[in-house]
Amino acid sequence: MPRSIWNGAIAFGAVTVPVKVFGALEDRAIHFSEVHLADGGGIAHQLVDPTTGDEVPRDKVVKGYEVSPGKWVVVTNDEIKAADQPRRKAVEVEDFVPGDQIDPVFYDKAYNLAPQDGAERGYALLVAALEKTGQVAIGRVVLRTKEQVVAVRPAGDDGLLRMHTMHASDEIVSGDDLDVPTPKKKPAKREVEMAGKLVEGLATDFDPDRFHDTYRERVLELVKRKAKGEEIEVKEPERPEPSDDLLAALQASLDAVGGDGKPKSGSRKKKR
Amino acid sequence: MPRSLWRGSLSFGLVNVPVALVSAVRDLDVHFHQLHADTHARLEVRRVCKKGGHEVPYEEIGYGYEIEKGKQVVLTQQELDAAQPEKTRTIDITEFVDVDQIDPVLYDHPYFLIPDDTGEGPARAYRLLVEVMEQQGRAALGTLVLRTKEHLVAILVREGLLQATTMAFPDEVRPVSDLDLPGKDAKPKPKELQNAVALVEELSRDFEPERYKDRHRERLLEIIERKRKGQTIEAPAEPETPQAVPDLLEALERSLAEVRGS
Repeated sequence: MPRSIWNGAIAFGAVTVPVKVFGALEDRAIHFSEVHLADGGGIAHQLVDPTTGDEVPRDKVVKGYEVSPGKWVVVTNDEIKAADQPRRKAVEVEDFVPGDQIDPVFYDKAYNLAPQDGAERGYALLVAALEKTGQVAIGRVVLRTKEQVVAVRPAGDDGLLRMHTMHASDEIVSGDDLDVPTPKKKPAKREVEMAGKLVEGLATDFDPDRFHDTYRERVLELVKRKAKGEEIEVKEPERPEPSDDLLAALQASLDAVGGDGKPKSGSRKKKR
Repeated sequence: MPRSLWRGSLSFGLVNVPVALVSAVRDLDVHFHQLHADTHARLEVRRVCKKGGHEVPYEEIGYGYEIEKGKQVVLTQQELDAAQPEKTRTIDITEFVDVDQIDPVLYDHPYFLIPDDTGEGPARAYRLLVEVMEQQGRAALGTLVLRTKEHLVAILVREGLLQATTMAFPDEVRPVSDLDLPGKDAKPKPKELQNAVALVEELSRDFEPERYKDRHRERLLEIIERKRKGQTIEAPAEPETPQAVPDLLEALERSLAEVRGS
């Protein structure tokens, strides 16, 4: 069993369900250690004072916030902790909202919840009540030193509760903040029809297992080749030209997927 | 307008639309810097060779990967670049799926894709894609290379624009089989479920994101302000550890009575 990153409860009304919290994702990216190319020595990161050029020992390092240029306020970890003072270690549920009203753009990090010993029935009850009503619990919890708004929702068929930390609404960029060129002419009916067919031709059920991290594979391949002493060559990527004749490009695309809007047999989506 | 992090081409069949990628979320967290305790000089990180103790410039740093215990292969940045997919400047839409079929656990960082060309053709092709995807409720799937890493992306329509969200690969989603979930065995009693459903419904309301302000940000800035004025900040008390309620049904009934104000 993996290690939990936090233990606490989900509290709604007078009900408390003690849970363990686990990361829902596992970082599988390839991590390298920094090496000095000239002599193969490992690299250490030193904190230095640029005014003296000297290394600064850990006990002389403090956290500062710049309140105005060059003016710092120093705070300790305990003082940061004092910002949020939870009465208890719990996700305090404030509201329940219909799950389909939450745009996933609000979700930040995802966690899996499991019941602590003795909380199995309360946990299963919350899963059942949320599933039955299609609602998601919105609450607040202090994780480490920071209060987060979280959404707790049932996920999958295993009776799992998943928790997502959420972005605040002022952190979401609106389309109005962006400069977007609009075409003088709206897409023609014929173009919409053809593009619609093309999308249908490429439509399929979502099967995440079809995708895997090819970059990770290529890096590992590169490592193997380098280990054998092979030479590695480098290429410059190009950006394709924009399509000027939209209708012609759509027609050619439709022809390529089979013309009738159905994918050709043996197309890439069948392959793994 | 936020800065674009990537400029390239969105390709869909044989249609290419020049696009720029801008983040769809902004970081408003309060960030701290590391300072010298006595002088308040802002500290910098120096990379030092453990062998000689001397500073190493960025160009002389390689990336080591341990292929077996004690045996390390070192790659240069240029060699590592060679592992990038050839199409680092294109998002190739390979398929379209129903938006509802995508498990949100896969979503990582959302970005907007906006037309990166003032020409009529690209702007219209972009609009066309927005219109058709919105009509069909479909998301486009493709891959995107950002800062040397390849991401799976789901592109969907938000506010009449294309939003591309990077996604985790499915083998990065932790299995839940080792979590000891109660599963279907712990079926709630009908009376408990009925009360729990009633409680959820009593506390239910529409999702209004503005209700959930980032109180941490506000409070932390307040602490900083108090500290600036020379006030003492008391260390917080340890929070209680809640226990499971001994009687679920009783707790539900008590909660219901409370929200119904009786």
